Parts: sequence; C-alpha cells; structure tokens
Amino acid sequence: MTTTERPDLSWLDEVTMADLERNPYATYERLRAEAPLAYVPVLGSYVASTEEICREIATSPDFEAVITPAGGRTFGHPAVIGVNGDVHADLRTMIEPALQPAEVDRWIDDLVRPIARRYLEQFEADGQAELVAQFCEPVSVRSLGDLLGLQDVESDKLREWFAKLNRSFTNAAMTEDGEFANPEGFVEGDEAKAEIRSIVDPLIDKWIDHPDDSAISHWLHDGMPPGRTRDREYIYPTIYVYLLGAMQEPGHGMASTLVGLFSRPEQLEEVVDDPALVPRAVAEGVRWTSPIWSATARISTKPVTVAGVDLPEGTPVMMSYGSANHDTGRYDAPTTYDLHRPPLPHLAFGAGNHACAGIYFANHTMRIALEELFEAIPNLERDTREGVEFWGWGFRGPTSLHVTWEV
Amino acid sequence: MTFAVTVGGRSVECSEDQALLDACLRAGVWMPNSCNQGTCGTCKLHVVSGEVDHGSSPAETLSDDERGSGMALACQARPLGDVELRQQGTSAARTAHPLRDMVATVREVSGIARDTRRILLGLNEPLTFDAGQYVELVVPGSGERRQYSLANTADEDKVLELHVKLVPGGVATHGWLFDGLAEGDEVDISGPLGDFHLPPESEDDGGPMVLIGGGTGLAPLVGIVRTALRRHPEREVVLYHGVRGEEELYDGDRLTELAGQYPNFRSVPVLSHEPAEGYREGFPTDAFVEDVATARGWTGWLCGPPAMVEAGVKAFKRRRMAPRNIHREKFTPADA
Ligand SMILES: Cc1cc2nc3c(=O)[nH]c(=O)nc-3n(C[C@H](O)[C@H](O)[C@H](O)COP(=O)(O)OP(=O)(O)OC[C@H]3O[C@@H](n4cnc5c(N)ncnc54)[C@H](O)[C@@H]3O)c2cc1C
Ligand code: HEM
Ligand code: FES
Repeated sequence: MTTTERPDLSWLDEVTMADLERNPYATYERLRAEAPLAYVPVLGSYVASTEEICREIATSPDFEAVITPAGGRTFGHPAVIGVNGDVHADLRTMIEPALQPAEVDRWIDDLVRPIARRYLEQFEADGQAELVAQFCEPVSVRSLGDLLGLQDVESDKLREWFAKLNRSFTNAAMTEDGEFANPEGFVEGDEAKAEIRSIVDPLIDKWIDHPDDSAISHWLHDGMPPGRTRDREYIYPTIYVYLLGAMQEPGHGMASTLVGLFSRPEQLEEVVDDPALVPRAVAEGVRWTSPIWSATARISTKPVTVAGVDLPEGTPVMMSYGSANHDTGRYDAPTTYDLHRPPLPHLAFGAGNHACAGIYFANHTMRIALEELFEAIPNLERDTREGVEFWGWGFRGPTSLHVTWEV
Repeated sequence: MTFAVTVGGRSVECSEDQALLDACLRAGVWMPNSCNQGTCGTCKLHVVSGEVDHGSSPAETLSDDERGSGMALACQARPLGDVELRQQGTSAARTAHPLRDMVATVREVSGIARDTRRILLGLNEPLTFDAGQYVELVVPGSGERRQYSLANTADEDKVLELHVKLVPGGVATHGWLFDGLAEGDEVDISGPLGDFHLPPESEDDGGPMVLIGGGTGLAPLVGIVRTALRRHPEREVVLYHGVRGEEELYDGDRLTELAGQYPNFRSVPVLSHEPAEGYREGFPTDAFVEDVATARGWTGWLCGPPAMVEAGVKAFKRRRMAPRNIHREKFTPADA
C-alpha cells in the first residue's frame, strides 16, 4: 500500500466477470490486503472481503439484507435472502420447521442414505466415475427434491434448473451507468423459471386442496387461517432460492471436500478409515472452497463507517464469504486443504439473522453421502489423467471430478 | 474461574464466561460447528456430568425437553463447574468387562514352533472377557508390562492361553518368558483389555469374515474364529496365518479339525521367506487379494506386526471392504 490515505484501486477497473468466475482468489487476496471494503466497478457494488468485515457487516444493526441486482432480476420479490422485518420473519417461520435439528434428525438418515446407495449402485462396479454428475449433484438434488415434494421431477432436471438459475443469478456485470452489462444472460434463467412454474403450479394446485407432508405443502398451509394458503407469488421467489442454492450447494460442498482430500492422500485415507472424521472433512471442505462464494449482500440503514470507509445510508455491500474463509489474518496457508488445521469457525454458511437456514440439513446430507461413498468404494483414487477445474464467483465448486478404483 | 471440560477422553480448560465450543476449538479439540450463534444446532451435544449455563441458546434450536434430557449447544453453553460432554452420534461406551489385577499361576510352558511358546496361566477366579482381547503381564523385577492376546473363547475363563514369540534381547520374552519361566510360577497380570473382539451376539449377523494373523498374531484369531463359528456354523470364514517359514507354523491340527467341523471354514498357511513344498508363498495379505475378488459385506480381522496390519487394511480396502468393518490389533513394541 502507498502512504496516501486511499490505496490506488485503479487495477480493479481491469477485473472482468470472466476473471472472477475462473478464479476469484487473486483479486480478493489483493482486496483483503489493500481494501477489505472496496467498490468493485465490474460488480457495481461495494465488496467485503475479509473475515472481520464480513462478520461485522453481516451481524451489524446498521445493515439489513438486500438481494444483489442480478439476484433480484432472477428471483423476483420477496426472496428470503433479500427481505427484512416481518416478511423475513414470516418466510423464516415458514421454512424453518422442516430444517430444525430435532426434526432433521428424525428422517435425514432414512432420506439420504438410500438415495446415496441408489446412485452408487449405478456405477460402483464400473471402476471409474465422474463424481460431480454421477454422485454429488444427484444425491444433493434428490434429497432436497424429495423433501420439498418434487419426487416426480427427475434429478437431471433439477440439476439443469440450478445450473441455469446459477448463471442468471450471477450474471452480475454492470455498466458504468448501472445497467446490466449482459441482459441476454438472464434468458436461460427466465426459461428455467417458466418450466419450473409449468411443473410446480399444478403441484401447488394439488397441495392447496390436498395438503401432504412435503415442505412446499407446509409452506402453503402452515400458520394460515383455516381455508387460506399463502399466495404462490409470495412463495415462488423463495422456491427459486431453494431450487438454486439449496439444491446446488451440498453437491458443491461434497465435491470440494473430495478434491481437497485428494490433495492430501494421507488425510483421505484417515477419513476413509474413520468415518467419524467426515464432518470435520466437510467443514474444512466448505471453508477451503466455499460453495456460496459471493452471492448475498447487505445494505446500510444509516450512514456508517466500516473499515475506514464512509458509506451513506442505502449502500449495498456484497458478502464475499469465500474470500473471508481464505483470510490469512485468520488461517495459516488458507489455500491448502488441511483436515487438521486449528478448527476455527468459518463463514461458509454466512452470519447474522440471514445466515443459512439449511446448515444442519446440508451438513448431514453431505456427511451421509460421503460416508456411503467411502463405504462402497474405500479404494477411491482421483483419475489423474483428467484435471480438476473449479468454476464460479457467486457459487463455486469443481465442474467435474474423475475417479477410478479397482473392481 | 476456569473449569475442566472433558470430551472424548480429552480435557480442556474453559473459563466461566467462555463457550464450551470456543474452549475446545482453541485447544484443538474438534467439534462439529457451523453458525456459532445458536441457530443451526450443529454443535448440539450431551452433558454427561456437571452443570452448564445455556446462555442465549434459543428454544427453537434447543428445546426445553432437550435441556431437560441433558443436551446443550456447545457454542452457547458456559460451564458452571467441571463438565463432561459426549458428542452426538458417538454411541455410549459399551458396558465393558471390568479390568482386574490378578495373580495367575503358570500351568504349562511349551515350545510349539521355532521361537514360539504356548503359555497357560491358571486363575483362581474366572475372568470375564471377549474372545480376542488381551492381558498385560508384569515382568518380574523390572516393573515393565507387556501385552499378550488371549487365544481363548469366553467360556475358557479359568486357564488363559497365550502364544508368545521370542524377541531377541527382549525384556519380557528373551529375559523371562523364554528363560526363567517355569510351571508353578506366579505372574501378576491385568485384564481384559482392548477392543479387538466380535460384536455382541445379538448384533452379529453371521456375515463372511477374513482373518489374517502374522506369527503369534494368530492367538486372538483362534479365540475369535471359534466364537464366530459356534454362533453361525454355516458362515464363510477364511483365516490366513502368515509366518516366515514352515517351522514357525503352529496349531495347524487345531485349525484343520475346525475345518472338518465347519464346512465353510478354511485356513491357509502362507510362508513369506522360506518356501516349502505344499505351501502358499508370499505375504498373507497378498494371498487374500489373489483369492478374494470382492470383500463387500465382509468383516476383516488383522493381528500381528504393525506393518502387516497396515498392509492388510490396504488389501481389504482394495477388495472394497467397508473400513468400519476392518478390525485391527497391532503388536506394537513397548518402546515404539
Ligand atoms: C495389544 C498387544 C497385544 C500383543 N499380543 C502379543 C501376543 O499375543 N504374542 C506376542 O508374542 N506378542 C504380543 N504383543 C507384543 C508383546 O507385548 C511384546 O511387545 C513383545 O513380546 C516384545 O516384548 P519384549 O519385552 O520381549 O521386547 P522389548 O524389550 O520390548 O523389545 C526389545 C527390542 O526389540 C524390539 N522389538 C520388540 N518387538 C519386536 C518385533 N516383533 N519385531 C522386531 N523388533 C521388536 C523393540 O523395539 C526393542 O528394541 C502384543 C502387543 C500388543 C500391543
Ligand atoms: C453446503 C451447502 C450450503 C451452503 C454452503 C450454504 C450457504 C449459505 C450462505 C452463505 C447463505 C447466505 C448467508 C448470509 O448472507 O449471511 C445461505 C442462505 C440460505 N440458505 Fe444455505 N447453504 C447451503 C445449503 C442450504 C440448504 C440445503 C438449504 C435448505 C434446505 C439452505 C437454505 C438457505 C436459506 C433459506 C438461506 C437464506 C437465509 C436468509 O436469508 O434468511 N441452504 N446459505
Ligand atoms: S454452531 Fe450452530 S448452534 Fe452452535
């Protein structure tokens, strides 16, 4: 840093969305060093990049939630991630019952284990597989899909939806005039939503008259006076939140954990030999490559000074949890996957009253899936003929993971 | 004020205004955790003894019922005194056979193979144990203790059978068990110890088993295999006994007799260094890989020198045995 008051951040003008999606770490490492709260032109927004500043803003009484512009364009209003006050309280009250630990404990094993086994049975005799598409994503979407009441929607369709919604939600590039730089980038998200509505609308019609134990049926009925249901337009934005992040991220978390473990063969062996280590391996996996890397935001409710920067009321700030989890102020060698690093709490699930509502469910889904994988294929090896690439700035994980084993 | 917080056998210091989770993580004792604000329930655990202040644990995450039954959120709870915690999922310790100190009387010492002795120890009172466990012998004069596995089944509870291999220069073996030890001697022992044993009968589904013993690593397998076959006479069991040369083999007749009694039991001696007519050559773990195409659904039992046990774990996993079904007993030297 220079000795002037404000660091020279003109290098940020050169940063493109494609750079960030390929690998955001270099940019954010420099941000953490030079300006932990900085205005990033391509995003058209302030960005918080360190552990301390992310945590401070996410839990500050001077900020509330706001959805990013591309996120709002994709989900519409009122999505749980972008609302506050009574509406937020109502949406959390609507979704939380199914995600309470005591509730999840009741059925999570019976839900996820058979699903994981079923996908494993399809390839365990092959001696090779691409785990992202054949295991991590299918187990993730099938588990949540069945919980929501979407049993009849194929896993591949759920995977297609989250991928399209993802690219639309993170189509964040802005022009200098504050317009979307790539409006055509929202088209595939719109198409996905149209298809979702064509499939989910009839289900909602059914659930209105014939409630069942599926989560969406509960969302319609719970806490409503007899004979009334929540309006579908009111719950759709939150359905989209689920069909994107909640469907996608446990798959990302599993795959990142596996890639991390493959980078430390002795640690992989430890975890395979002792399934009790799986939760710790997953916690380090989502620290190492945070599935929700930078997708949520907060907005100041009055003029505030954060990290030495004066922000007027109404200034949005993007939470870069994936960067915070690589903060050298908190972690030694954060870019290394290390099962045995001092186990400090991380920010992969966010913080404050908008922290992830699905932590318990997600952690157990990932745990059970990996337990089953290591049980069925304890001799798993990465197929070193194929590389591993990560993609994503808003949401991040390996795009593929080829493995082999002796059969 | 600081208190002792014990979890999984480790004890850490926790001050009265510190969350249990914080104290553990700082001491490098891992516990599942995610939100650290009392909302996700990931850090929920059992308070086995002692009192905690639940602080601001929300009722949605920790219900009154759960509080009443001794649960707490580690990220919120603070100790009100010394506390002992148990993480969820890790099952309550099984009721173990009580550990006892005993004086045993040597009934018999016999050479059964090259540098290998069988030692029978008579007890005044029967010992309760599970087949496969071991006892500790106090080496007279030195105060040193050495472990030896029991070859007995649980009903053979008054005369303990040990198989001991000579270690040149060894305090217990060279200096005592192979030297001065004689019938009628009294020996201080404690036991039973260890977790190398079959599950309780009610949980034993009679599935296929493979056992690999290196040298006197055969000892506990002799007890385990007889117990397993008695429970499920039809079960598929293969036992490999690996030694350097034919002269180190022992109990062959005993195993052959067992094979005559139980049609699906097979025992395979394997010689690693001194080939001999009619015997498999190489390491027993490699013989297993050659013989068994898949060990999915099997349980595996490995006992002997640490390097052999490690090789066995790899061999079992190569044949896709679930790691939680792999049981191991390493004859680790006392000074390792
Ligand atoms: C759980 C458990 C169960 C056991 N059960 C049996 C059993 O049933 N039968 C049995 O014979 N042994 C068994 N052992 C090993 C036994 O406890 C002693 O370690 C062994 O008999 C050597 O003791 P020592 O006093 O004669 O040698 P020590 O005085 O301890 O050792 C002398 C030297 O030899 C080395 N050494 C020790 N053992 C070996 C070896 N195997 N190979 C090469 N170098 C060695 C030592 O490192 C040391 O340098 C068991 C060990 C454990 C941990
Ligand atoms: C490994 C998987 C997952 C990760 C890493 C993850 C992470 C996150 C993060 C970082 C946020 C934003 C928090 C903030 O802004 O501070 C979030 C929000 C949310 N997550 Fe998750 N999530 C995962 C899986 C799930 C699942 C499976 C569900 C539901 C079943 C879920 C439901 C939610 C909801 C509803 C929100 C919005 C909360 C609010 O704004 O009030 N998540 N998640
Ligand atoms: S870590 Fe979430 S409740 Fe304690």
